Amino acid sequence: MSDVAENSGGGTLCVQLDGKPHEVVAGTTLAQLVAALGHEPQAVSTAVNGAFVPRGQRGQALQPDDVVLLFQPVVGG
Amino acid sequence: MGEQGKVLTGGIDAWQVEGVSLASRFILGTAGYPSPQVLADAIRASGTQLVTVGLRRQLAAAGDNGFMDIIRAAMAEQGARLLPNTAGCTTAREAVQLAHMARELYDTSWLKLEVVGDEYTLQPDPLELVTAARQLVRDGFTVFPYCTDDLVTCQRLLDAGCAVLMPWGAPIGSGQGLINPFALRLLRQRLPDALLVVDAGIGAPSDAARALEMGYDAVLLNSAVSQSPDPVRMAGAFKAAVAAGRGAYVAGVMAKQDFAVATTPVTGNPLLLGETP
Repeated sequence: MSDVAENSGGGTLCVQLDGKPHEVVAGTTLAQLVAALGHEPQAVSTAVNGAFVPRGQRGQALQPDDVVLLFQPVVGG
Repeated sequence: MGEQGKVLTGGIDAWQVEGVSLASRFILGTAGYPSPQVLADAIRASGTQLVTVGLRRQLAAAGDNGFMDIIRAAMAEQGARLLPNTAGCTTAREAVQLAHMARELYDTSWLKLEVVGDEYTLQPDPLELVTAARQLVRDGFTVFPYCTDDLVTCQRLLDAGCAVLMPWGAPIGSGQGLINPFALRLLRQRLPDALLVVDAGIGAPSDAARALEMGYDAVLLNSAVSQSPDPVRMAGAFKAAVAAGRGAYVAGVMAKQDFAVATTPVTGNPLLLGETP
């Protein structure tokens, strides 16, 4: 999270992460959130506010109340 | 695809999906197995070259206990491909977004498109399905839609550019087999150039054999193997049934008749009872 703190103005904001409130430092990007959660960039796919965000486009700062979803591979039929 | 009666060269009877040759006509699902090792052994026993996988929200479930590593290892060993699905989607928009995530995660443009319209039967929503298929084909996906056996919906999905159609045999996981063989036969008859796969509802290997005998190009099943007390042996049984059904279709099944037709040639047999010395 150190990178996040360096990019921020010091405040925090709340996003919805997989359906639960999650506080991040203001200015945190989606890529930084993925890293802070312990995921390699290629290990998850991401969506913000119902729209797919490709791996190469996770550099935008998250906004208050953004709905963030992370998806991982799983068995399936 | 109108191959009935064709001569197979060297026993190879592959089918082609957009230029990719698949020797196995058995697509296997990967969910619900008792352990990763049983899944790996079932994949090997099935001989499949295409297995379905899914996506899940990160916090919605616990870890996968190594299932995905096992799948990837088995795929590498057999030179097989992954077919991600959009299970759980109820709208075209959701399905399109999930499809893009699946393509990024699994590095494949092949997609089993699922858009459910009824939570009780898990019946596909034909309108949302066609809408999603149109968009995904435009986005460069090779779309395998899970659909009902409705002829007109299937035609619309082909018009949208779907590579393969996957009508249900019966509701997902029900194991009821082919509950509407008339509709499935009609689809095969009316769409002779389409790649058709019976997906869902298959319970016994005989169901799979029947689908292939009808001229379906492949079958997709999961629960029939994973819910067997011996999934590995069942995967092998399905492999044999698929081969038998396909072989029967290519050879040509005899026409049914209403009355008996003598099999043994008896004309001129000197020992036939009733003849007097």
